[in-house]
Amino acid sequence: MTLTLILEQAFNGLQAGVTLFLVAAGLTLILGIMDVVFLAHGAQVMIGAYAAAAIAAATGNFYIGLLLAVPVTFASGYLLEFLLIRHLYRRDHMEQVLATFGLILFFNELIRIGFGPAALYSDLPPSLSGFVEILPGTPYPVYRLGVILVGLACAIAIHMFVSRTRIGAMVRAGANNPAMTAALGINIKLLLRFIFAAGACFAGVAGMMLGPITAVQPGMGEPLLILSLVVIIIGGIGSVRGAFIAAIIVGLVDTLGRVFLPAMLRLVVDQATADGAGPAVASMLVYILMAVVLIFRPTGLFPAKG
Amino acid sequence: MSRAVLELQGLNKSFGALHATRDLSFCVNAGEIHALIGPNGAGKTTLIQQIYGALKPDTGHVLLNGKDITSLPVPGRVRAGIGRSFQISNVLMDFTVLENGIIAEQARLGQSFRFLRPAFDDPDLIVGARKILARVGLDDRADQRVGDLAHGERRMLELALALATAPQLLLLDEPMAGAGPEESQRMSQIIETLRGKLAILLIEHDMDAVFRLADRITVLVEGAVIASGTADEISNSAAVQTAYLGSE
Amino acid sequence: MSAIRDFIGLVGDGVKANQTLWLLVFGFALFPIFTHFADLPFWNDVAMRIMLLGMAAMGLNLVLGYGGMVSFGHAAFIGIGAYCVGISQFYGISNGWAHLGFSIVPCGLAGLVIGYLALRTSGIYFIMITLAFAQMLFFLFVSLEAYGGDDGMSIDRGEFGFIDLYDPLRLYFLIWCALALVSLALMFIVRSRFGVTLRAIKSNESRIEAMGLSPLRFKMVGYVISAVICGIAGTLFASWQEYVSPDIMHWTRSGELMIIIILGGLATLAGPLLGAIVFLLLEESLPMLLGAVAPAYAENWMIIFGPLLIMVVLFGRGGLTGIIDRLSGTRGNADHKAGPR
Repeated sequence: MTLTLILEQAFNGLQAGVTLFLVAAGLTLILGIMDVVFLAHGAQVMIGAYAAAAIAAATGNFYIGLLLAVPVTFASGYLLEFLLIRHLYRRDHMEQVLATFGLILFFNELIRIGFGPAALYSDLPPSLSGFVEILPGTPYPVYRLGVILVGLACAIAIHMFVSRTRIGAMVRAGANNPAMTAALGINIKLLLRFIFAAGACFAGVAGMMLGPITAVQPGMGEPLLILSLVVIIIGGIGSVRGAFIAAIIVGLVDTLGRVFLPAMLRLVVDQATADGAGPAVASMLVYILMAVVLIFRPTGLFPAKG
Repeated sequence: MSRAVLELQGLNKSFGALHATRDLSFCVNAGEIHALIGPNGAGKTTLIQQIYGALKPDTGHVLLNGKDITSLPVPGRVRAGIGRSFQISNVLMDFTVLENGIIAEQARLGQSFRFLRPAFDDPDLIVGARKILARVGLDDRADQRVGDLAHGERRMLELALALATAPQLLLLDEPMAGAGPEESQRMSQIIETLRGKLAILLIEHDMDAVFRLADRITVLVEGAVIASGTADEISNSAAVQTAYLGSE
Repeated sequence: MSAIRDFIGLVGDGVKANQTLWLLVFGFALFPIFTHFADLPFWNDVAMRIMLLGMAAMGLNLVLGYGGMVSFGHAAFIGIGAYCVGISQFYGISNGWAHLGFSIVPCGLAGLVIGYLALRTSGIYFIMITLAFAQMLFFLFVSLEAYGGDDGMSIDRGEFGFIDLYDPLRLYFLIWCALALVSLALMFIVRSRFGVTLRAIKSNESRIEAMGLSPLRFKMVGYVISAVICGIAGTLFASWQEYVSPDIMHWTRSGELMIIIILGGLATLAGPLLGAIVFLLLEESLPMLLGAVAPAYAENWMIIFGPLLIMVVLFGRGGLTGIIDRLSGTRGNADHKAGPR
């Protein structure tokens, strides 16, 4: 258990955290402001990943793939809200679950037809494939560092936008009291569509950046969806700040937990039990954390309402 | 000497900068109809919530028949003897009037955790439910879905359900709200029949009804009691005049 | 003696009030006769899957349709029930009755713990929390290498004494008996004082508080009952499939249960069973249909199923039982009228 390993895994945790944040940010607003259980948010991640991979393959340039995939995911979110989601606002949660579940099936199948069921692996351009020394003697992949930086930049941008602009103020008002915001005559329909599209966009960015790290395949978004639901529960529905803090915590706990928990267990119990129980507990760690938070704060750490 | 069924001791409740309930103390005696009046925003609903248990006061105590119930949750307070009729009808819309009564009756009898016999077919429950409904004259509407009832009838059902638990203290939160003159008259008559049988804390804006029904009146302004006494005392009180005319 | 007559009378009343349900149940009892003469034994298998899925969905419907608790984690209880068979066999216990007994306790306990943690929340929180807990259990079983992990473990059919489960007909009727018993139990529960209170909590929780009752207690009892029913379904399913893997409790299976309930009709006893029939028949027939029309895409039948669901949500009201009620002009199902019949 060297410093190098700990540092490396901590950075991995950070990277996982910001990725989670990008997915959770949009979802927490969709849940908090529109009160829609939008399960197909994971599909947005997948759309972003495939868009980037496809454009990169077509143009031969990784960066162009990323750049052009952003408006693609924004547009897909915009269209989706316009065609379907806005009809779900008045429905009860179960119907929303069902409809968005149907969306997941549809999108996964669509991708499967279009790109085949096998995973795509994207290549990193040489400029991003190297290592950088975050501390003397501690090399870390340039790309993952890039993901962290992009994620943090997005977080700062979202924060600035939500707290400094007029539209941001409307978003905050919407999260705090949707009915009142609508009553104030703000064009709530357009605002909601924008929020939805922006959320989809950030989820897509997460997907795009994940492409080179994990496999791009149908259904890749679902695990992220579930984990971001955990993030939102811990952070508080409707709170972007809560989503950020919770995402970093969850990313760190999950990554560090998987790597170090089995070893730590060996200090307390015998080898056999530790090796058997270790991975099991590590995989549940995040959910145990969620349960603990729920016992003391049923509405999360930073609830937006009230 | 009347004994106090409800006693409030130094209740305080703040919402951030808003001090909604200021060091509030007063009593409601057995058998009396005690009205709580005051301009809008005076904190009447906040106070009722604290008596009912839906809100916890920051400091202070709520005593029911001498027993401190401040830490009891709502169902516990109801079982201890508090009944409440809500300002906005809070009845079971997806059931019929009789079914509402049956559910209330089985709750009163403490039988709600039984799994065998159909509740809505049980003759004992039906008899008990009809008694509850008859008290407010809803017996003939027993098979109506509550969703189809007229507004006034729903207020009656609201009152019937509040009485179903045989409370010792009844919190009537604006029973005449949204009622026309005929409905108000009916409601007043029914409240009149309750006089002396239980303690009633009545919040109402309809001043005619208040002065007709109330034995004692407490006036609340900006979270604090500014006057408390009989109807005559209150109507002659200069402080009350200022409070009402001044805050218009 | 009069107690037994009394009970039979109650059953009779219940059956009269829930005709669609019992028609279906008796239909399933007679189904093997049909498949025998039509020489289609494969459909017995389909029927068994339908019965098990319907049973689990009925369990979930107690809390979801009747209780208004949108629990997205009930596949976890099916999984626990299934793994109880596998794990007890792992330790040498082959008695089927023991398997059933073993699955009831962990499912009940899991229902209690998850229920306690989740039921203090409501709305979107509740949905997400139940989903998260189901995922937690999914990952738990994936990581338990001793019990097969991701690959799962194969299972022998439990020994139920005189009932040899390797005889497909006996397995069929064991499952049928479970379905009938669960239907009976739910029929009583839904109409009982408890059931009526649970339904009232869905309608207006604060009114129930105002009657001096604690809604949480009722919800938790309902949740535990539904968990146990799902567990029983899972136990029998494991025996039928002779295999169990974490996939049985993947969150999409919880979604399937909800689809079935909505398809069939919320808050009705027959709904989940109807929904299971339609769902599994669709699952069997859509690939065939697609294969006839566009053979290259036969495997991608989900691309029709997804939008189909969306259509059902947007345009279907009250599910299949709603349609049946409207067509037959009756209200054959959930109890609405109080008073002597």
